[in-house]
Amino acid sequence: MQVYLPIAEMSVDAFLLVGIGFGVGWLSGLFGVGGGFLLTPLLILIGIPSPVAVASGANQTLGASVSGLIAQWRRGNVDAKMGGVLLVGGVLGSLAGVQLFALLRRVGQVDLAVSVFYVVVLGTVGGLMVMESVRAILRRRTTIKRKLHEHFWMHGLPLKMRFRRSRLYISIIPPFAVGFGIGMLSAVMGVGGGFMLVPAMIYFLGMPTSVVIGTSLFQVVFVAANVTMLQAVQLGTVDILLTMLLLLGGVAGAQFGASMGTRLRGEETRALLGLLVLSVAMSLLWGLLRRPPNLFSSGPAL
Amino acid sequence: MIRLALLLLLAWAGPGRAQELPLVAALSQDAVEVTTGFTGTSLMVFGSTEGPIGPGGDEVLVLARGPTRPVVVRRKVPVLGLIWVNGPSARFAGVPGFYFIAGTRPAWQLLPEEERQRNGLGLDSLPLTSTGARSPAFRAALLELESHSGLWVENTSPVEIAGSRLFHARLPLPAAVPTGDYQVEVLLVRSRRIVARQELAFRVDRVGAADRIATVAADQPFLYGLACIMFAALAGWLGSVLFRRG
Repeated sequence: MQVYLPIAEMSVDAFLLVGIGFGVGWLSGLFGVGGGFLLTPLLILIGIPSPVAVASGANQTLGASVSGLIAQWRRGNVDAKMGGVLLVGGVLGSLAGVQLFALLRRVGQVDLAVSVFYVVVLGTVGGLMVMESVRAILRRRTTIKRKLHEHFWMHGLPLKMRFRRSRLYISIIPPFAVGFGIGMLSAVMGVGGGFMLVPAMIYFLGMPTSVVIGTSLFQVVFVAANVTMLQAVQLGTVDILLTMLLLLGGVAGAQFGASMGTRLRGEETRALLGLLVLSVAMSLLWGLLRRPPNLFSSGPAL
Repeated sequence: MIRLALLLLLAWAGPGRAQELPLVAALSQDAVEVTTGFTGTSLMVFGSTEGPIGPGGDEVLVLARGPTRPVVVRRKVPVLGLIWVNGPSARFAGVPGFYFIAGTRPAWQLLPEEERQRNGLGLDSLPLTSTGARSPAFRAALLELESHSGLWVENTSPVEIAGSRLFHARLPLPAAVPTGDYQVEVLLVRSRRIVARQELAFRVDRVGAADRIATVAADQPFLYGLACIMFAALAGWLGSVLFRRG
């Protein structure tokens, strides 16, 4: 069934969009990531103009994440206090990221910068996650007694705060810095940042995997709302009909994903997310390296 | 319906009047409505000529142009022989968002080259001026990209002739057709000269829900953004309520 998208000014198959929404929503619920890093390239692939794909993708991420967030909240897996600290950092970071984006634009290589950012960040994050989780899965057999978490320089920082849900008593500086850094990257890359936030919370902050997913969704909801608003006001590229169709599949997918996620072990969830992130990085790298089938592209002049 | 329209036209432009007018043409509709179910459509351009159409007699050309906009064409280049990035670009001003030409025979067979170029009859004679990269490859690439998208159409099917003095041509409008005002020109060619022309026009407009969404998004971006956020959050909440029992 074909529908005409009023902002994208084109006609697409509604069932295809619902299907894409379901798949991405499912991953979103399973891994606690918004799925923006998958959705935006997929939408561009089916021919949606990239500004509309980015903006509507952020809006769909918002809806799918709300759905996932409620599911996680009900299970008591959201550390709202930690989420709040991350969010303050994230909002400030995305403001800085917009400035960085403007600078890259003046230099004239924003396309290249975004692609390289994607490959480097996704490649690193994915690689680290796969390595760590495989090691954890192997270690499960040889039962070595481990401490709850190790102490290093980070734990000597001031401004300590108790995060009861995460069972942590740490300085608020590291979570703030994590939020800031990821906020900056997500403004440049046009994604919610969940796929970077999840590993950062596990490996850097030492939070338990069960709480990480809900808390990540908490942050993604607000970042995606911020991006939707900025895009709607500055560029006018949010297509509500496109969002509606994606969400139709997305909300259902997120619920299935969330209930499936509770049945998977933490290490396995991380290994799968790592593999997914790594494969997106590889396909983007391939896109940069291979000779494009058509050297020329056209777009509206600004 | 087209047949009926042709008959009506014939009756209207009957023997008495056809003597005065060498060319009479009309469009099957003067407005195209883009709804949320729009998947492209086509218009019919039809009319009649004074003398018989065919080799040696009258020939008809139909030309349609949509609203113009500036377009940038970019070329990818390898950096360090490894990574393909957008390199040089050319900016074309006033590129028609839709272009259609058809004739009883291709325009280059009917008219002298100079005449054809002056009237912009044919994709190669479009007056496209560019700034930036100078290579003619950019212009060729623009032609190829637009033709591929179905928005620029040249001589895909000829103008059909019925009963030696009636002609009709189908104007295909794909789903991606830009909204705005369109000009249609019907030219009568006799012995390699344009002897008569008739100008017609139609509009492509978004209507209904599609139009309301686009209007609100453009006029009230803050409210629209807020609505998108609220809607997405509501849909997410609704999803979690519906699936809790499932």
